[in-house]
Amino acid sequence: MKNNILKSILFTATFGALVACEEQIFPELESAEPVLVIDAWVTNRDQPQVIKITRSQPYFDEVLPTGVAGASVSVSDNLGNVFTFTEGATQGEYVWTPVGNVGFGTVGNSYELTVTVNGETFLANARMNDVPPVDSITFNKQEGTQFFDDLYFAEFWGTDLLPVGDAYWIKTYKNGQLLNKPSEISLAYDAAFSRGADYSGEKFITPIRTSINPFDEGADGSLLSPYSVGDSLYVEINSLSQEAFDFLTEVQLQTDRPGGFGELFSTPIANVPTNVRNVNASGSKVVGFFNVAAVAGNGRRFKSLDEVSRVY
Amino acid sequence: MQKLYYFLIICFFQTISVTAQDKVTINGYIKDASNGEALIGATVYVRSLSAGTTTNVYGFYSLTLPAGTYDVEFTYIGYAKQVSNQELIKNIRFDVEMESQGEQLKEVVISAEKEQSIVQSVEMSVNKLDIKTISKIPAFLGEVDVIRSLQQLPGVATVGEGASGFNVRGGSVGQNLILLDEASVYNSSHLLGFFSVFNPDAVKDTKLYKAAIPAQYGGRLASLLDVRMKEGNNKEFEANGGIGTIFSRLALEAPIVKDKGSFIVAGRRSYIDVLARPFVEVLQDGAKLNFYDLTGKANYSINEKNKIFLSGYFGRDVFFFDGDQGFSWGNKTGTLRYNRIFNDRLFANFSAIFSEYDYSLQFGEDDQDYFRWKSSITNYTFKPNFSYFLNSDNEISFGAEATYYEFTPADAVASSGGGPIPLTVDRKYNLENSFYLSNDQKIGDAFTLQYGLRYSSFYSFGPGKNVIYYDTIPGKRRRPNTSLEQEVSSGDVLSQYSNLEPRLSIKAQLNNTTSIKASYNRMVQYLHLISNTTASNPLDVWTPSSNNILPEIGDQLAVGYFKSFGNNDLYQFSAETYYRQTENQIDYIDGANLLINQYLEGELLSGRGRAYGLELYFQKQEGRFNGWISYTLGKTELQVEGINRGDWYATRYDQRHNLKLTGFYELNKRLSLSANFTYVSGTPATFPTSRYVVQGILIPYNANESRGNVRLPDFHRLDLSVRLDGKAEKANGKQRKNTDYWVFGLYNVYARKNPFSIYFTQGSERVPVGSAINSEARQLAIIGTIIPSISYNFHF
Repeated sequence: MKNNILKSILFTATFGALVACEEQIFPELESAEPVLVIDAWVTNRDQPQVIKITRSQPYFDEVLPTGVAGASVSVSDNLGNVFTFTEGATQGEYVWTPVGNVGFGTVGNSYELTVTVNGETFLANARMNDVPPVDSITFNKQEGTQFFDDLYFAEFWGTDLLPVGDAYWIKTYKNGQLLNKPSEISLAYDAAFSRGADYSGEKFITPIRTSINPFDEGADGSLLSPYSVGDSLYVEINSLSQEAFDFLTEVQLQTDRPGGFGELFSTPIANVPTNVRNVNASGSKVVGFFNVAAVAGNGRRFKSLDEVSRVY
Repeated sequence: MQKLYYFLIICFFQTISVTAQDKVTINGYIKDASNGEALIGATVYVRSLSAGTTTNVYGFYSLTLPAGTYDVEFTYIGYAKQVSNQELIKNIRFDVEMESQGEQLKEVVISAEKEQSIVQSVEMSVNKLDIKTISKIPAFLGEVDVIRSLQQLPGVATVGEGASGFNVRGGSVGQNLILLDEASVYNSSHLLGFFSVFNPDAVKDTKLYKAAIPAQYGGRLASLLDVRMKEGNNKEFEANGGIGTIFSRLALEAPIVKDKGSFIVAGRRSYIDVLARPFVEVLQDGAKLNFYDLTGKANYSINEKNKIFLSGYFGRDVFFFDGDQGFSWGNKTGTLRYNRIFNDRLFANFSAIFSEYDYSLQFGEDDQDYFRWKSSITNYTFKPNFSYFLNSDNEISFGAEATYYEFTPADAVASSGGGPIPLTVDRKYNLENSFYLSNDQKIGDAFTLQYGLRYSSFYSFGPGKNVIYYDTIPGKRRRPNTSLEQEVSSGDVLSQYSNLEPRLSIKAQLNNTTSIKASYNRMVQYLHLISNTTASNPLDVWTPSSNNILPEIGDQLAVGYFKSFGNNDLYQFSAETYYRQTENQIDYIDGANLLINQYLEGELLSGRGRAYGLELYFQKQEGRFNGWISYTLGKTELQVEGINRGDWYATRYDQRHNLKLTGFYELNKRLSLSANFTYVSGTPATFPTSRYVVQGILIPYNANESRGNVRLPDFHRLDLSVRLDGKAEKANGKQRKNTDYWVFGLYNVYARKNPFSIYFTQGSERVPVGSAINSEARQLAIIGTIIPSISYNFHF
């Protein structure tokens, strides 16, 4: 559907571009004490798992946040196993390295994160949910119009697991680089978008299947084809806890700001939630999130135009 | 509150007991002689008795006087005064047709009838705009617009350019009752909020009540916008139309039977897509981008005492990206009315009303992969209203209203290869009943009272689910307790509310040119517009009160000072203050999911609101140079647990200062200038203090958890327009039958980039893992440039 959304954007842009006007400004912001940030997204992929502990920065500080050293970080499961994360080479990074080919955790188990910083203890809980496989990836062609040239976009195929209430984060790597713009966060609740409408056990709906395409602009402002012959992509489905789905939904709302007429329909600015808590409720504030994901992935290289399976 | 009820009851019975003997009644309709349109609010006055009345919305009047011979004066602004010597020994029917005044006064501006001016009328917090005035205000893209014109009046605000609807005295967009010939209009906008659904060629009269809302009306907290359609010329065929920058318009009016019945049909359509089709391929592939509306009305006088009206509206906005993908929305209304004069003093109107708002979206690639979604609100209303003209000092109104609502929050179906799967949210069924009684009473020359009581009740009934939610932390999503969920069958009552709504207005006439007025009214709102975006949008759904959503209740007190001065009351001045407090205001949890959600109610928060302010209004009514100045000092806030640490916070449309200047100048008979200037102090915005990174995404953070912690820069704008009338005479010196005029406009003359919002975002580039992320603030102006326009209008 992205290609259709694209058309609609072009449509409204024709009107909007005539009158709307946007510029960067440099307002002065209230100052605030830094708060602790815990970025703990652990997966069962067979590779070192990293939990980052940093502090928030003034909004316009465009430097890497400084890591918090000297914390003790561990994750325990409901069976009593403890996974200790040790301080890595980069300050603020805490790493657990798998032994043998066994990744972190087991689907269905519950996990508790414990972080101790400067004598304060922070806890967070998550359950590792199941994930369906990425069955295949195909390529489609959108024929060019007077506004853009031919576009090649990819579609992945997969089927949601049956019980109602699965939540997934679909991450895409193009030529090894993660598509990590706020507009590229792709979430699924069962086979569709949101909780409350039961659409479970089906193939993912088209907008989700085609959410793996980067829409970048060339230097002249023209739209670039998401994929060209020679490109490779890797699609990864990460299972989410219910709370993590809500967290990412709000991250999307708060960070994906396309501007223009879209601002008419933006929701109020608010802090995104956190599932990390200070054991001492009146202690220091903390933000960030802990999720334990099962991951399934699949990749494909776009070798030649003969691989195009559908033309629009 | 109890005391107030006693007071109202006592007033009422005193009225009834003072029934007169030896009195006679003169009644009838007052109409425009040129086209038979009923004149609303025309004055009937007997100077020797200082007794008078005004015509109601159907142009009917009834005046009861002691038997005798009187000079009865009929006046209406812009029309030649008529005086008729009447020997009243028995009840008589006397219909009046008034002649429009000639060229020299054509450019008169009115917002309140002069003879029954804002000083004399008991009404307060009321603004009337007739279509002549509306059509002279410089308009965006030259399209004359009712709702944008209202925004030139005190107490009326908007979130910003392009936003749907309007805000009255700190109320939300969903708290305005908008009636088009008595039918509720649930979404008043075309093309987001740039244009309103009312076709100016078909509108006769608009009246905005910001307080002192008569007991006859209820259902919304903040205001009533009463739009009345033209009835159609019952003397001769008439056509009006125009070609503008956005719309082409055509309205036709003609008698059905001369002097007895007539009709009007008026249509508008945007035509940019038609013009662009040869140049834009996607438009040839089935893409659509247009909006249109059709407004019609017919009336017929069966005899002197019985008259029927049928009116309707149909409008739609259509955005289709190709043949089968896109969305559309629109309103439909229909009103059937029957006016009956039972006797000289009892006038009745019976209305049967239908109204529907719906939208639909569809996406898909083929029969295997698609998503289709519809949502609607429909209501059917029956409304008998009676006016009893007891004597020249009392006019009693009473009646009832029954409305059946059907809500379809989401009727959706999706398929991703495995056949269609319904994603339907349960329908909701409701009934709203009300009864009212009120009286307009004059006490001596100095005092006029308008007091009434409305009793309203609201029922939700099955089939449906009775959903119970767990109580959780304020500000967080409430989960349904499915073990307590009960299915109820058709007709079973799920929840029920009833409320008494007292209304009271008092006018004290200090002298001929000065009065003081005060009013109190309670309003109850059972339907809620669910919208958590900056501006209301077409996908916002209405949802009824239920066991989980309490009715909104608002109490408003207003006090005003009204003064006219100058020769022939040339200048009018008013100052009003108001205070309103509201209960059960709706706000939303952060990240609320409001669409296709069976458990929508778990996403809502409830709180209270308060709004207060001062409105100043100064108007010069006529002359070559005329216009008005309007200034509002206001504040509007909400307090909701879970938002802004539980403290009061300013609503998105809170504007401390709101100044509007509107002026008209007639250079000569053919050329006139209009200008308006708007200054509004900055609306609230929320800025972050800090930033942090989770999973490579830059997240803004406000360490104080506040909402509305800063103000946007001020908004100001100047608009100009020039109207050039076609020559009134032909080359041979004869009067032309047809008239036409051009309007040239400039919107945002000095091209100010007025901020609509300031938002914070990470840079648009993709950031490689391990690099610092850029952060920036961006200021958006919806209209950041000067916009010229041109339109051609004709009449024959």
